Amino acid sequence: MSLTITAEAKKIAKITLTGEVDSLTAREFQKEIERMAAEAPDELILVAKDLDFISSAGLRVLIFAKQKLGTHLNVYVVGAQPSVVETMVKTGLDNSFNIVDHYL
Amino acid sequence: MERTTFPGTLDSLEGIRLVVKEQAQQAGLAKKPTYALLLAVDEIATNIITHGYDENGGSGPVDVLISHADGKLSVTLEDDAVAFDPLKHTLPDEQFFAQPLENRPIGGMGIHLTLNGVDEFKYEYVNHRNRNTFIMKTEPASAPA
Repeated sequence: MSLTITAEAKKIAKITLTGEVDSLTAREFQKEIERMAAEAPDELILVAKDLDFISSAGLRVLIFAKQKLGTHLNVYVVGAQPSVVETMVKTGLDNSFNIVDHYL
Repeated sequence: MERTTFPGTLDSLEGIRLVVKEQAQQAGLAKKPTYALLLAVDEIATNIITHGYDENGGSGPVDVLISHADGKLSVTLEDDAVAFDPLKHTLPDEQFFAQPLENRPIGGMGIHLTLNGVDEFKYEYVNHRNRNTFIMKTEPASAPA
């Protein structure tokens, strides 16, 4: 009898967004995504509980993250406020991102 | 009519949202339509600053004019950049949003969110100025006695 065990820990990247993402602040967000991309995570968690505003510039960073890290990458948007969720739905991003209330 | 002038740079966006938010609250606009209005104004202001001014090597002001009358809150952005009608550009359709992300063109989301969020949107070019106007219906004031 023999046993082979292959274990691999998931690499999870976590970014917390607080405040407002517009065309100016989206640049900071994008830089952070680029830093994260270098780590090649398996999953990206965006904690959006205190994200009060996101414009299309911020949504483009989300799309950029998927494009940069590979569309197979699971991205979770956690705890986003209703207006932020609505903006993502209006632009069809709810098809590509996991919008969840909690991430356990 | 409230008029506030901002420099046409991206760090003005926050202040522009703030004056619009203050006036929207005074006009009694509910939270959800207020957010939609802020988003619309932010998207168009971004276009003015990045496409109108920056990409043409120019600079100039963005004037924010706000008025509230007859159950309508009206926000107008005026700028001196080259004439740019946001409605003349291809608007994304359902197909656009159904596309996988990797195939999606980069533009189009902003104007979609703008038109989707306000009750009325108008563009005019008057006296060598771009005028982008956003109108939101507000709750009628309590009926006169």
